[in-house]
Amino acid sequence: MNTVTPGAAQYMRGGALHNDLVDGRRLTPPPSSPQVPETRGHFGNGSLGDGAGEPDEVDKLKLKLRSAWNNVKYGWSVKSKTVFNKTSPLILMGQSFILNSEEEVERFRLAFGSRVWLTYRKEFPQLDGSNLTSDCGWGCMLRSGQMLLAQGLMLHHLPRNWRWPDCPQLTDVDFEVLRPRSPSRPSGISMPSFSSTWSASGSKKRVSSSNLKGDDSQTESRHRRLVSWFGDEPAAPFGVHRLVELGKDSGKKAGDWYGPSLVAHILRKAVDKNTEFDDLVVYVAQDCTVYKGDVMQLCEQTSPDSRWKSAIILVPVRLGGDSLNQSYTECIKNLLKSDFCIGIIGGKPKHSLFFIGFHDEQLLYLDPHYCQLVVDVTQENFPLESFHCNSPRKMNFNRMDPSCTLGFYARTQKDFESLCSSVTQALSLSGERYPIFTIVEGRGQDYGLEGYSRGGTDPSAHILPTDPAIRNSAEGFVLL
Amino acid sequence: MAPFEKAQHPKPFKQRKSFATRKQEVAGIRSKFPTKVPVIIERYHREKYLPPLDKTKFLVPQELTMTQFVTIIRNRMTLMPSQAFYLLINNAGIASMSLTMAQVYKDHKDEDGFLYMTYASQEMFGHCKCVDQFLT
Repeated sequence: MNTVTPGAAQYMRGGALHNDLVDGRRLTPPPSSPQVPETRGHFGNGSLGDGAGEPDEVDKLKLKLRSAWNNVKYGWSVKSKTVFNKTSPLILMGQSFILNSEEEVERFRLAFGSRVWLTYRKEFPQLDGSNLTSDCGWGCMLRSGQMLLAQGLMLHHLPRNWRWPDCPQLTDVDFEVLRPRSPSRPSGISMPSFSSTWSASGSKKRVSSSNLKGDDSQTESRHRRLVSWFGDEPAAPFGVHRLVELGKDSGKKAGDWYGPSLVAHILRKAVDKNTEFDDLVVYVAQDCTVYKGDVMQLCEQTSPDSRWKSAIILVPVRLGGDSLNQSYTECIKNLLKSDFCIGIIGGKPKHSLFFIGFHDEQLLYLDPHYCQLVVDVTQENFPLESFHCNSPRKMNFNRMDPSCTLGFYARTQKDFESLCSSVTQALSLSGERYPIFTIVEGRGQDYGLEGYSRGGTDPSAHILPTDPAIRNSAEGFVLL
Repeated sequence: MAPFEKAQHPKPFKQRKSFATRKQEVAGIRSKFPTKVPVIIERYHREKYLPPLDKTKFLVPQELTMTQFVTIIRNRMTLMPSQAFYLLINNAGIASMSLTMAQVYKDHKDEDGFLYMTYASQEMFGHCKCVDQFLT
């Protein structure tokens, strides 16, 4: 089935005509991707798994309309280009870019395109306990959660600052430094075309993965394995099937909406229950407090070789009532600047996004609201294109929903110590009197209620004084 | 986690009582319990997941930390530790959990002498539930 849609044109892949015209060379299509008659606007993986026969014209048209409708319905509106000025630093996963030269734009392209992008998928195996074969319309928060975990796993399994050599060219971007006829343009920079696809003329740096040797090919296979963990099939450790299953304990089922805190706990369980990841733990903070002692206890837990486990630390927060309390903006920026931050799962109201950085007063994000055909990740050399995004998007901080979960990763014990001090500093730098969360020494139980409560196990253990004389004098107040 | 969408939203405390009445109430209770702070806790008006609290007015020992206070309210609602629960001060910000009630009271008390807090869980994200027909 072809997903040829107006919306898809925005996420045009490397094989599109544009690129061919732009840099005058042919990009080799992915080996397993069959050739299709309409190249332009065709979404890279769209034709996968549909080997048998082209649908007739009427069917094609129906499909086009349906896909277009879905993409509009899920907020995938036709949108103008994302503008990147050349003066303000852009932060992406703790790294800073000043997009004032072609080299810097290229560096950004590689950094952005190497992030794992997970979107709605359709036509995957039916979800247990429902007749759903797609998460379109409801799974966006799960997808954002997957992207956050993928970023953590990337730091865990791939070399730091790993870049995917097959990174897509960026589309729907407008880099100020690359604009034609810009009077302030530094001389000596050759102009790309007027097309919406920006194409690196520094393509000499581009190495096709088929030419990789030794270490690189090993890294590439780890990259592929990492992506396969998020495949849409029941056996994948972090696929939608698995996550929906783990959400059932919390009263959720396939088709329900999920929140950032709930997803944090689902991710914790998913990593916890998988023996393949016994050198990694996920800690979810409660009540905006990270207890160092509790994290350390998790990391020290007996593993076969009694190694310190790496930790993903998730902090669910609520930064306001109806809307984001603007006084937290600086703090969010400071956290995104941190090397240890692996992104924020949150979004606009009802519309989940994975925040990976910021540029001036705008957040940079990966959007899961794009319905793609399932890719069979169990096949050797399955195509990776649809798991990486080529269209960086931004939105203003003031549209951010106050509910979100902040993510951090520390590989070693030393990293964890640095994380604590660096994040604490980022939290206190923000000028806001109260930080959005705190990291404290000791364990959660040390801060308990000794003397105030008889413990949380007995629901009737309210803390009311038993003496009716005292109670009556409290004039309708509950006396704690 | 059953939604409580049908639960009634009573008028906010501030709208039920006049400023003078509220001020008087605080003065009265503070004279009887000088070491406790008067706190109003109300459900966030769009809250769908957390249950309503049976009481609104609390007198809280001033040396209690926010962590302890949150734990008490969580216990009162019999929430699971993993369930999202946030106390927003003046419906806007979260207070640092290590602060004592006395500190929070000093910084955020209303003109009437009460400290106002709203409790909320987290929002859920998604778009359209009736998506099936478009995909089959």
